[in-house]
Amino acid sequence: MPDLKELYEAVVSGNAKATQAITQQALADGVDPLKLVNEYMVPAMDEVGRRFEANEYFVPELLISARAMKASLEIIRPILTARGDKPVGRVAIGTVKGDLHDIGKNLVASLLEGGGFEVIDLGVNVSPEKFIETVNSRQANIIAMSALLTTTMPSMKTTIDALKQAGVRDKVKVLIGGAPITQKYADEIGADGYSENAVGAVALAKKAVAAA
Amino acid sequence: MTSRERVLAHLEGRPVDRLPLMPITMMFAAVQTGARYRDYCTDYRVLVEGQIRTAEAFGFDYVNTMSDPAREAADCGAPVEYFESQPVALIEDQALLADKTKLASLKIPDPLGGGRMHNGIKALALFKERVGKDKIIEGWIEGPIAEGADLRGINTLMMDFFDDPPFVHDLFAFVIELELRFAREQLKAGADVIGVGDAAASLVGPDIYHEFVWPYEKKLVDGIHALGGKVRLHICGHTRRILEGMGKLGCDIVDLDSMAPISEARQKMGPHTILLGNLNPVSVLRNGNPADVTAAITECHQQAGTPFIVGAGCEVPRDTPPENLRALCAYAHTHQP
Repeated sequence: MPDLKELYEAVVSGNAKATQAITQQALADGVDPLKLVNEYMVPAMDEVGRRFEANEYFVPELLISARAMKASLEIIRPILTARGDKPVGRVAIGTVKGDLHDIGKNLVASLLEGGGFEVIDLGVNVSPEKFIETVNSRQANIIAMSALLTTTMPSMKTTIDALKQAGVRDKVKVLIGGAPITQKYADEIGADGYSENAVGAVALAKKAVAAA
Repeated sequence: MTSRERVLAHLEGRPVDRLPLMPITMMFAAVQTGARYRDYCTDYRVLVEGQIRTAEAFGFDYVNTMSDPAREAADCGAPVEYFESQPVALIEDQALLADKTKLASLKIPDPLGGGRMHNGIKALALFKERVGKDKIIEGWIEGPIAEGADLRGINTLMMDFFDDPPFVHDLFAFVIELELRFAREQLKAGADVIGVGDAAASLVGPDIYHEFVWPYEKKLVDGIHALGGKVRLHICGHTRRILEGMGKLGCDIVDLDSMAPISEARQKMGPHTILLGNLNPVSVLRNGNPADVTAAITECHQQAGTPFIVGAGCEVPRDTPPENLRALCAYAHTHQP
């Protein structure tokens, strides 16, 4: 039986080979995969988020921790799905139509995944139709949109309007973020929430699914 | 004093009649001519017209050639996307150096070879002809981490710092050679100042900045100085943790984004660094009113002290109300450093 504290350490230090090896060994030894997620990976990503907020970690450190977490989740997720375990929530995330800047979106996606959400990463330049399709086909209950440019921000409103037109607005909570975004803008376009940083986005998403 | 005399005097520590004014405009400048932004990026005549009209309408002391971060990468062969009304952008999932072994055979493009870099150089020559006697002419290049990210893919580069440090050094060394060649031709064509944009530097912490980024930024700054140019450094984003290093590069102008406190920049960079900035371009300049803008730039100036140049923290957004930009400019027009 591996020392599971090492799983926590490997996520925090961004060692993907170690997370993969420990996960495989732990599962072979009969450890419940949900225990690995809830007792080691989620707290590890919480710690990564804390360090990021405290300016002890920066984007590179966060990305390698996220990669280490994903290496383990890739092994665990199919097992959880097969036995019918449900994620905290299902988030469809992407940068809006016309915007190719995805670093912020990737940070949020990783921390959401670390927070127990299933994340459907739609990538960059995501059309309103693509968001709608994902709500319908994958039953996403949160849409998270990011924009870096003031010129692409309006795509957020376009997407929300399209969700209404498609009759799916009530099925999802819409969260937005990005450098030019403000709470005021979120209110104006009828988004359900705004966070100015990636750590705050996870708390916001948890609140959103709790309220649903 | 002419605009040109004013800026040069301020850069050399001589007295000036009023504060120099050098805000970054790109999409805002294109709107002044009614042009599509795509044309502003791809046709130097459109860029020059937009810059000159903006500089004259608002009383700027300079014009610049910045339009998007993708000129050099596009000429290297990186796939880029052209939008009708936004800056040209790199397509990261088709990054030129997705396979890093390609770096060894990557050739530095000729800045005068008819590509996007050449287009920027033609803009400088036209600026010189049209406003060279009065305005400061600023060219633009990307810094090591910004251009490295454009070539490699920004997400991948962030992990390369841990996965393959020697590759990062090789990549940045390539970038510096590329950018110095581009800068040399820009200076020959008429640029007085070379703007260096190194946006991705704000994504890394001080350890990675000092180990990987700073040494190459320093080579770039020293190289431009050796070519006879002045340097304006602009790093978009939150630079608070790397202010001290930025100050030690020896740039002629440090153009600070709004997230870093300018008082701290002054403290970390010493009394001689010329600071430029740094009011919030979106929440104040675009979304505020003229009184908000005046209050914010007054505060920036007080915190920065002297020497100081008026500008926003980053690009003046496209749909900024003209009266707000006028308020920013009026502050420079009516105040001493």
